[in-house]
Amino acid sequence: MKARRDVYQAIADPTRRAIINMIATEPHNVNAIAEKFDISRQAISLHVKILMDCGLVIIKQRGRDRFCEAQLDQLSEVSAWIDQYRQHWESKLDTLETYLAKLKKERYAKRKK
Amino acid sequence: MQNAKSSTHDRELHISRLLDAPVELVWEVWTHPEHIANWWGPNGFTNTITTMDMKPGGEWNLVMHGPDGTDYKNKSVFREVTPFKKIVYEHVSAPKFTATVTFEEQGEQTLLNWHMLFETAEEFIQVVKTFKADEGLKQNIEKLALYLKRK
Repeated sequence: MKARRDVYQAIADPTRRAIINMIATEPHNVNAIAEKFDISRQAISLHVKILMDCGLVIIKQRGRDRFCEAQLDQLSEVSAWIDQYRQHWESKLDTLETYLAKLKKERYAKRKK
Repeated sequence: MQNAKSSTHDRELHISRLLDAPVELVWEVWTHPEHIANWWGPNGFTNTITTMDMKPGGEWNLVMHGPDGTDYKNKSVFREVTPFKKIVYEHVSAPKFTATVTFEEQGEQTLLNWHMLFETAEEFIQVVKTFKADEGLKQNIEKLALYLKRK
């Protein structure tokens, strides 16, 4: 059975995020990526493999080189969920607002009596 | 990429709201357990606050009771408490984050800034991902928000 891969898993690792940043502007081959990091080429290959499984990277053969190209459409899914998480906190402030209005009304009514 | 480590943009959340109440009242509802129980969300939840020791190093224990009977324990430790101005607390149960809440007096209104900095981007992503699993909860929140507006 294959582990389910998704975009969250792809970006949950700092090295993978750094790889995405690196190839976001232009495709790099795996060796060029590996040179920028202090970890082994095998480890980089594994990260690239996971990014491919998650659909964030595709490999394009150019002559003898294999270039990693970023596919960033999927990341918008993450930002959409971050927005929803923000909404969750905003709703807390909505409730606070309603509660404050209620308290103000109660206290104002008391003062008038 | 040199900035990747110092940057916090991938693990923070910032919201603010201008509240139509004087800073004394906003501070009061933020710092008294009996008030907090009335607005701490999400909607549809009730809250039990067992400890709220508002001083640096003081503990804050809050249990949210979900609509389905599930309890969510939240343990925090206050780091900074400046009356009518600022509260900093560390949420020490998962997900770990540090929240900074500031109160800015603007006449009869108060600008509330709420900043949450998660320990790691991994933790933040995990939270967002967990929240993703919670669509039903989100719908409940929306329904209740509508209901409260009509009241």
